[in-house]
Amino acid sequence: MKKRMLAILLSCAMVASLPISAAAVSADDAADEVTITTWNEVNPDDSLNMYKQAEAATGVKVNVTVIPETDYSSKLNQMVATQDSSADIMIVWENDIRNFAEVGGIDALDDYMTDSTIDTSDFIDAVAVLADGLGGTYGLPWCAATEVLYYNKDLFDAAGIEYPTNDWAYEDFKAAAEKLTADGVYGCALPNLQTWWAGIGGAGDQIYDPESGELVIGDGAVSFITDCKDMVDKGIMPEPSSDTTDLFAAGKAAMAWQGSWMIGTYGDTLGFGWDIASLPTNKVKYNTLHTGFYTLNANSKNKEAAWKVIEYLMSEEGQTINSKSSGNPSALKTIAAEGAWKVESAADIISNWDAMTDSLEAGIFGYTCLPSGVTGDAVSKFNSALLGECTPEEAVEQASQYAAETIGY
Amino acid sequence: MTRRKRDNRTAFFFILPWLIGFICFTCFPVGFMVRTSLTNRKLNGLSKFVGLANYRNMLKSSTFLNSLKVTIMFTIIMVIVTTIWAIIMALLLNRKQRLNGIFQFCYFLPSVIPSVALAYAFRTIFGKDAGLLNGLLGFFRGAPVSINWLYDKHTVYLVVFFITLFTYNTGQMMLIFRSGLSDVPAELYEASDLDGATNTQKFFSITLPMISPLVLFNAVNGCISALNGSFALLYPLTGESGDPNGKTQVLSLLIYKEAFSNMKVGYACALSVALFILAALFGIAIFAISKKTVYYEN
Repeated sequence: MKKRMLAILLSCAMVASLPISAAAVSADDAADEVTITTWNEVNPDDSLNMYKQAEAATGVKVNVTVIPETDYSSKLNQMVATQDSSADIMIVWENDIRNFAEVGGIDALDDYMTDSTIDTSDFIDAVAVLADGLGGTYGLPWCAATEVLYYNKDLFDAAGIEYPTNDWAYEDFKAAAEKLTADGVYGCALPNLQTWWAGIGGAGDQIYDPESGELVIGDGAVSFITDCKDMVDKGIMPEPSSDTTDLFAAGKAAMAWQGSWMIGTYGDTLGFGWDIASLPTNKVKYNTLHTGFYTLNANSKNKEAAWKVIEYLMSEEGQTINSKSSGNPSALKTIAAEGAWKVESAADIISNWDAMTDSLEAGIFGYTCLPSGVTGDAVSKFNSALLGECTPEEAVEQASQYAAETIGY
Repeated sequence: MTRRKRDNRTAFFFILPWLIGFICFTCFPVGFMVRTSLTNRKLNGLSKFVGLANYRNMLKSSTFLNSLKVTIMFTIIMVIVTTIWAIIMALLLNRKQRLNGIFQFCYFLPSVIPSVALAYAFRTIFGKDAGLLNGLLGFFRGAPVSINWLYDKHTVYLVVFFITLFTYNTGQMMLIFRSGLSDVPAELYEASDLDGATNTQKFFSITLPMISPLVLFNAVNGCISALNGSFALLYPLTGESGDPNGKTQVLSLLIYKEAFSNMKVGYACALSVALFILAALFGIAIFAISKKTVYYEN
């Protein structure tokens, strides 16, 4: 009898625990408290923490949920699919905003913006193009990061080569990379997941077709991969490998194509003189813009409070703090022109700040509008071509074929 | 109510917690997976019934066919390599010698490290320019060595299979073999000694037949582990695209990539059904082989 009672109790306890735990998860949020999702760690300095400053300015408590960048998009997709209300504001990436708007996961902001001071006509042109066809304003860009050329001034001086300028041609870059290559020093680091696309776009490929949403690569990609393979074979660029060392930061690569956000990371910590320039111009001047959009979760229970916070984050004060903290310019032209993105730790190191505004003007939203699985797969194929596992033509064909299988699913 | 009926009912209540878990966390997800594989469900929840389109697309996809080939090859070799290694380790530990417990502890220790942490550690060891192994080889050679271990098609499998020797699954196999070896009757070895059998003859004629049920058990477990658990090992080592050029893209990596990077949940479910069928086929094949090779005393 005792055994039976014990078995019944165990079964009941197990069944009962399910709704109890579910109820615990769905506890109501406080009225003037909102949660925002992001992939960036919050700045530990309160004066550069835009969320802390938003709290002080709006009186709304802001909780920040940091999701690792590699899982960010998929977590947000899952939240939208399950109509999760745990986040009120989601910073949504370029490749997700259209899908989220279509499934009703995020609210149109047009009604909120009628009484707002945010001037959407002041956004850089690329943002306006990206928002076209959504049928409303579903998100406001939190910044506009660009891609630039980082170079080691000490190595340029030692080789007797003039520093890169914002109107450097691609051939100038290749010639300098070859001259800068020495024992233990590469002329240039390998393009990374982001800057492969800048090289391909610069070589003339469209990369992303906003009409069809497809990956468009061809001769430009073949040409850029061939150039990189040539540089790898000559020891000007390193081979793709599992090493995670930043060769530029380690002083082992004279140049590197990277995102503008690395300026704040490098700051005054590198131990050698360095500067930036616009990416060299091949057939066209090209770099990819990166952003995220402040969006209102359609299932949020605190939409008014969330909007107050978004409005502050898009204000001159909020955008200025963001720029100072991240080193990324505002997508609002008048605020970007004030230059708050010139991060303090690199203020005395960088002399060519014009590279940022120049890159911002040339930048477009390209590969970031495509699924990360497609672009990641393509970069893996490009790297395989550098290793001689396949030809550049085969790499481009295989990447295009996989993209065609995936996009439009 | 008879005592037998009462006992049956009590037994049923005891298995009820497991049964609820089985229905909720095994049957339901499997059913949901099969149903979702017939839709074009995306990660954001959009879904439409598409019949067998995902399966048709899968069979036409060169990425899937490559992944299937890699998975089959990876599973077969991993089961063979890890089983042989576990038997060797168990045989060594079965010898009567001092400090046996310490050796066992040392051999088993890497197995209790989570696969992801283990993979990251080995990724550092097998790096090209900053790798520990290349540094060590360079030290002995007196000149820099820069073998691209994880990005060279000739060395990547060697490295991956070497790392599998240190996973939890191999450690667990070793312990099971060790306990099996201690149960082999000593009289059999004494009799073979009288007949003048060599160590090799004793291993193949006594030890291996006596532990063959354990070999079967470990082979089945190793197979499931290779099919499902390879993700935790390969994702940190060679990425979701299975570098270089898809050479290590097993099905579990492709499923993750399709579901969470491309947001194609319906297609990923179709791939999962394929993995499920593959696991079943491997199980059937192992049991079919075992009918001829496994020795049961009774």
